[in-house]
Amino acid sequence: MARWALISGLRGDLEAYEAIQEDLRQTRRVDTLFVLGDVIGPERECNALLERLQQPRRGEMEPQCLYGWWEDQLLAERGYRGQRRADALRLSQGETAIDALLQAVDPAYMDWLAGLQLGFVELGCALLHGSSVAVDDSLGPNSSPLFLLDRLTRMDVNRLFTARSGRQFRLELSGGGIESQVRDLEGQRHHQQSVPPRQVIGIGAGIHYTLYDPGSDRLDFLIAGSKPQQRARGFA
Amino acid sequence: MIAMAHAVISCLHANFAALEAVLADIDQQGIATITCLGDLVGYGPQPNEVVDLVRQRSIPTCQGCWDEDIIEGLNACECSYPSQLAERRGHLAHQWTAEQLGEENKAFLASLPMTLRRDRLLFVHGSPNSQHEYLLPDMDAFAALERVETAGAETLFCGHTHRPYVRELRDGSIRARVQDGAASGAPSVERQINLPMRRIINAGSVGEPRHGNTNATYVIHHEDTDAVEIREVPYDVERTCRAIVESGLPPIFAWRLRHGFEYAERADDASHVCER
Repeated sequence: MARWALISGLRGDLEAYEAIQEDLRQTRRVDTLFVLGDVIGPERECNALLERLQQPRRGEMEPQCLYGWWEDQLLAERGYRGQRRADALRLSQGETAIDALLQAVDPAYMDWLAGLQLGFVELGCALLHGSSVAVDDSLGPNSSPLFLLDRLTRMDVNRLFTARSGRQFRLELSGGGIESQVRDLEGQRHHQQSVPPRQVIGIGAGIHYTLYDPGSDRLDFLIAGSKPQQRARGFA
Repeated sequence: MIAMAHAVISCLHANFAALEAVLADIDQQGIATITCLGDLVGYGPQPNEVVDLVRQRSIPTCQGCWDEDIIEGLNACECSYPSQLAERRGHLAHQWTAEQLGEENKAFLASLPMTLRRDRLLFVHGSPNSQHEYLLPDMDAFAALERVETAGAETLFCGHTHRPYVRELRDGSIRARVQDGAASGAPSVERQINLPMRRIINAGSVGEPRHGNTNATYVIHHEDTDAVEIREVPYDVERTCRAIVESGLPPIFAWRLRHGFEYAERADDASHVCER
């Protein structure tokens, strides 16, 4: 049975990535490693991590990577997004952060970054950094269930895995409905629609990562490098 | 004069005869406030006449997808066309319209806002997300409500589908069970939100109706009672059809005006949002 590891928000932290890989190697029987973006950031030089993602060591899981907000900002600033530049970063953190981000990633890695996709859809699950609305769509446990349901509906999936908020959470839509009445030139129609049993899952960031078994729907929120009794917070 | 009523028109599509008839119908009822939801041009044979009249009447107007494309160039992705044939016809109409439209009128279309707002009433062409998104009457009810809620409106006026309707979304609620991963060992928390009643009012189409007959359509909103009236207005269809053929536009545009609908022009995936 498939078992996924989902990570995000490494922001150049090779040690965190190695800790997760070590975790997976020792205890976890995982067959797919998804990296939901933000592998780069302005805080540190990211080249070593980028190299490692592209060239896994022997016995290491090969990651399936998406782009996140930081990759999107860098790609925009380096001219890979048409006329758009890293305006969101410039507005929120200023030119210093732009310079730091440019310094953090060797231009030789830009083509690889430009080839990353926005999302994956696997077994009725969508895996994205934010959502299909935007890469910076920050969904968390306190987000409106109406908006979360909308994000699921847009992708037509049962599970949406998201990373932008950096939070680990599972929000399960468990009931409710809505009445719709349409009047047009042909007459009037009523329709009652129920809330489908779908879920949005926040996978965490950095050493906080998530395991998911699509067969059993089991989810585990973990912290790489911590002892098993402290890190196992699973629930099905 | 009906002081508390306003008329909403959309999708004029360069059909001057239809616009004249609809404005006459509005005037006859003494309604002074009119809002237009865009698509002044495209498909039809009188783009300048229609834009001129909207400007003369100083009708507040938001920008439609055709208005945007005429200004920006054909920048909508081909996803909105159901076939290559339909796409080719659309491109022909675009090229013809771009050649005919005067510079002043192009500047006017370029100046149009994406949305207009009056208190809790929001006016858009397609949806608050995009001029290209179709809010069809049978669209997922929660997704439809999300469009209105995200835009901070109580009533959303839209067009783009060329089919008029009034949709009320009410008595909605969502229950959710939330497990916060950061709260180690904490039990799941149950939440319930009760959703507000919201409305989507589609004004149909003045210049290219697709609701099943040839009449132009628009809506009247009576603000005092909150009632909405869907109006059908007959006009001289043949006058516009003759002008289409004489102008060299694809004759199928005249054919579908004579029939009032054409399924071949509906997008395969109407919920798709053009991302360009």
